[in-house]
Amino acid sequence: MIRITQKMAPAEVLEALRQANGYYITNTARDMSQSDYKNRILLHTDLMAAEAREEAGYFSLEITGGASIHVDILRKQVDPFLKLKLLREQMPDTMFQTLCRGVNLFGYRPYPQNVIRLTVREFAKYVDVWRTFDFMNHVPNMEAVFEEVAKAGKINEPCICFSTGPEHTDAFYVKKVQEILDVTGPEIILCIKNHGGLGTPKRIGELVDAIKQAYPELIIHYHGHNTDGNDIGRIQAAVLNGATIVDASDHSFTGFYGPPPILTVIQTLKDYGKTAIGINEEAVIRSSDVIRDQRQYYSQFEAQIKGFMPTVQIHKLPGGAMGSSLEQASKGGFLDKMPDILHKELPRVQKELGNWWSVTPGSQILWTTAVTNVLEGERYANPSGDLKNLLLGKYGPFPFYQPADWIYEKAFGPDWKTVLDRDGGLEVIDDIDIDKERETLAGKLDKEPTDQQLVTYLQHPNDAVEFFKFEEKFGRSYVLPPAIFLRQGGFQLGESLVFRDHDGKEHLIEIGPSQEDEDGRTNVYLNVDHSQRTYIIEPEVQKGAACQETLSKGEIEKLAKIGDIRAPFGGNVYDISVEIGQEVKKGDQVAILEAMKMQTPVISEVTGTVAEITAEVGLAVKPGDKIMLIEPSADE
Amino acid sequence: MNHKPQLQGVQLKTKILVANRGEIAIRIIRAIQELNYEAVAIYESPDKDSRHIRIADEAVWIGDGPRSDYLNIDKVIDAAIHSGAVAIHPGYGFLAENPDFARACEEAGLIFIGPPSDVIAKLGNKVMAREIMAKAGIPMVPGTDNLKPGDDGLAEAIAFGRKYGYPIMLKATSGGGGRGIRRIENESELAEQYTIARSEALAAFNDDSVYLEKVVVKPKHVEVQIIADKTGETIHLGTRDCSIQRRNQKLIEIAPAFQLSPELNEEICRTAIQAAKAANYFNAGTVEFLLDDDGSFYFMEINTRLQVEHTVTEMITGIDIVRTQIKLAMGKNLLFGQEHVQLRGHAIEMRINAEDPQNNFMPEGGKTITVYHSPGGYGVRLDGFCYQGFTIPEAYDSLLVKLTVFGWSWNETVDRLKRCLHNFVITGPKTTIPFYLNLINHPDFRKGRFDTSFLDENEQLFEYDEQTSEVNKLARLIAEIHQKKQNTYAA
Repeated sequence: MIRITQKMAPAEVLEALRQANGYYITNTARDMSQSDYKNRILLHTDLMAAEAREEAGYFSLEITGGASIHVDILRKQVDPFLKLKLLREQMPDTMFQTLCRGVNLFGYRPYPQNVIRLTVREFAKYVDVWRTFDFMNHVPNMEAVFEEVAKAGKINEPCICFSTGPEHTDAFYVKKVQEILDVTGPEIILCIKNHGGLGTPKRIGELVDAIKQAYPELIIHYHGHNTDGNDIGRIQAAVLNGATIVDASDHSFTGFYGPPPILTVIQTLKDYGKTAIGINEEAVIRSSDVIRDQRQYYSQFEAQIKGFMPTVQIHKLPGGAMGSSLEQASKGGFLDKMPDILHKELPRVQKELGNWWSVTPGSQILWTTAVTNVLEGERYANPSGDLKNLLLGKYGPFPFYQPADWIYEKAFGPDWKTVLDRDGGLEVIDDIDIDKERETLAGKLDKEPTDQQLVTYLQHPNDAVEFFKFEEKFGRSYVLPPAIFLRQGGFQLGESLVFRDHDGKEHLIEIGPSQEDEDGRTNVYLNVDHSQRTYIIEPEVQKGAACQETLSKGEIEKLAKIGDIRAPFGGNVYDISVEIGQEVKKGDQVAILEAMKMQTPVISEVTGTVAEITAEVGLAVKPGDKIMLIEPSADE
Repeated sequence: MNHKPQLQGVQLKTKILVANRGEIAIRIIRAIQELNYEAVAIYESPDKDSRHIRIADEAVWIGDGPRSDYLNIDKVIDAAIHSGAVAIHPGYGFLAENPDFARACEEAGLIFIGPPSDVIAKLGNKVMAREIMAKAGIPMVPGTDNLKPGDDGLAEAIAFGRKYGYPIMLKATSGGGGRGIRRIENESELAEQYTIARSEALAAFNDDSVYLEKVVVKPKHVEVQIIADKTGETIHLGTRDCSIQRRNQKLIEIAPAFQLSPELNEEICRTAIQAAKAANYFNAGTVEFLLDDDGSFYFMEINTRLQVEHTVTEMITGIDIVRTQIKLAMGKNLLFGQEHVQLRGHAIEMRINAEDPQNNFMPEGGKTITVYHSPGGYGVRLDGFCYQGFTIPEAYDSLLVKLTVFGWSWNETVDRLKRCLHNFVITGPKTTIPFYLNLINHPDFRKGRFDTSFLDENEQLFEYDEQTSEVNKLARLIAEIHQKKQNTYAA
């Protein structure tokens, strides 16, 4: 029984796992951050915990992947590669693990094959264990990642996504495992990905047992969520039935929708004679103690609804989407409708659309559809672009059954069969010209980008460029503790802020008075390392053409009929598909809006010429905000 | 016993108009106000936020410019007359060395603070100036008179080149300030450049006369500050070394020119006074020489105005040159003689420009100064005009502030200079500060071993990191988090 370290070859690791008399633990710090803190746990906190986590002796630390890469650049302003590099310096022995969404990588829709391969190659320089899944459990969607991980000499951990219901039988999952093994061969770890924390301990025990019976040599890693408060029970059943690795995290930060506490897992299984291999319990406790004090600064990111949610067994929302869904409900002012959405509409939509797995990006499609169904009063009246793609089978075949004809008719009109015949089938994304992308990025940065910058850019182009500009302007801000970086309400006059910069140099900043001038600019006086500095903060400039009063849906539609295109719902402008002076036909796509991670095309209701474009890519819009004006042709 | 002045109705103060902008306008306004006169500023529209307007007692808008109104003799004279000014100080640049302007002042009954227009006129004409100096026995770089037109001139030039050897300078008679000069390395180049130089001179200065001068290879640029009153009493305030230049434009000036023997120093100063007297010079001026490494020196020109670098001389003599200029112009005579002028210590002036040295000193006009923090303390003098929040007008030169430091020894002075450059915090535009820091860390600078070729021969001076310090960037973020009550980049 040995501790597994990053310095071992993949074959040695798998051998150690097969020989294990006991079980290993993955610290899923990333999933805890995503599920309980909207992905906002800062690198600063992870670095504080690094030394103790390294000593704790985990199988791996899941510290990247999922939505975290996007949030790293969008909200945490940290380079996802620099993060891994710095953690690796502090944690030379612990394997790093990622969660990869297969063809969707770390985003929400499929990427070209050459982008997938380049991305995996770059991240594999830091990431040792690759947990890969597809929300339709469609194995071909994961193949490119499998291949690149193997080529990089890292460990593949393919997932079977787990859910409940009459279709979700042991036989189905055992067959799915075979499909994976047919592609990867036996040298893998298999993950049972229970992203919702669904099923009872008994159900998980049976499933692990069934897979173990069919493939006795297969190493099983059970991943769960504690949404119903009972993941310890499922972990216990998984280990007792043959799972070798389980997921949990530091107890000082555990919440309601992410992983359960590591220490509770250890204590529970010890009583069953199961030992956590490689684990230093004292260091497990210390990891929690060293960061406990930091939790207060993240409370602003904890879910709007607190408490365990055993009703997850009904609505099946994955733990990783709980925080963001509840935030949308809170910001959208429909928290009161949550019982209807979660307990009635969501399970209904789920069954209607095929009872597949509610996990990214499928969980967003289900959620958005259920929310619009409830809020608009008419079901499937306004299908998102992603729902249409799903119905067309662009993300993969329906595993159990196809949705009913009437849903297709709602989405595509009476000719839906023709549309399905013409456009249906798995979406093939053409390779992009990566050298050209590199040039584009070089133009935006005014210098040659690094390979890592290019990869970050290829994931989320607009947000990556914004991040690079942030870094240029504000430096490497990961050095700031959450008490500074996430401070709400400003600092106290005279407050002293102490931190070390990227080069390890200590700095002291004291807060002085602020003064507004007649142009609305504020002079903020700071004492930086004992020298007085003034920083001028320009007043916020309102971008775009925000609509003063809220327009009704009918008013927005009426305006659209005369070419005055308004945002039909709140979201971000993802793409402007036309240019000023361009001629468009009725039915042409003129822009794409993105809301709740779902993209929806904006269609012109008139034939004419684009006269004015008010919105710009990346702009946040409310319903009724101006997008563009189309001058209808005279013969209209 | 104190004697309180009697109230005699409204006493109008004497007003002096400052026909300039930027730091030099402020420098002059300060002297005017210290003399208990009132200062009238003029400005063009792009300068409406300029500080010289606020500091002056009165400011007159003279037009939208840019530059054309500061250069418009009629408008400036009008502004003086309408504001009731009795005198005009031209500063440097713009109309300062324009004899027509000095003459216009004289004709309008205004006191021009500088030499008389005829002195400006004859010294401004290179050929005429050379004639005067040659007659007075002032050493000259071998050169020609205005070349004859056409092929005769070329023949004359070729003969000169064969006699004195190459390189030689082909100069436009009406050029100046580094313009209209080209260096010729050999005879075939001379033939080629001769015609081009003439046509370019015609286009640029409306005068196609050109002449030749021998090139003194790697000379030092040494100049002498002189002051003369109306009685002809002429004194010098010592030497300055302005060798560190880029494209014939001075960047750093040092007083006194050091590492000259006392005898040579004395000889140069004596010659300068002789030159000034030969020109019947009045008021403050500068006699410029080229110094060869064998100790021979040659007259270059007399600048008939206040120099940018006058501050270093003020630092080592304790004499306020601008105050003296005004007093002399207002009819006073020198109250001190040469024997009262004591030179002590060393002074260095650096021009902090909003320019990117790494990009061929490209001006950074149009940018806003977001942080401005300047050094202070013993031996430090600042002559500037910008402030935090100030947007640098694109229309004018890029000088933000002159940093002048004084020290008793050369080493002390360089150490102080280094400290001051480090203490400067200017963000927004790029500045010459990081380049200067690189420069003064060069061992040859420290040893005083530099001549006019210093920048050309030290390309590595342009290699430095143009980065705001990391802590400054983070402090900016902290300021935003503080002001906006949250981190909008993390929301």
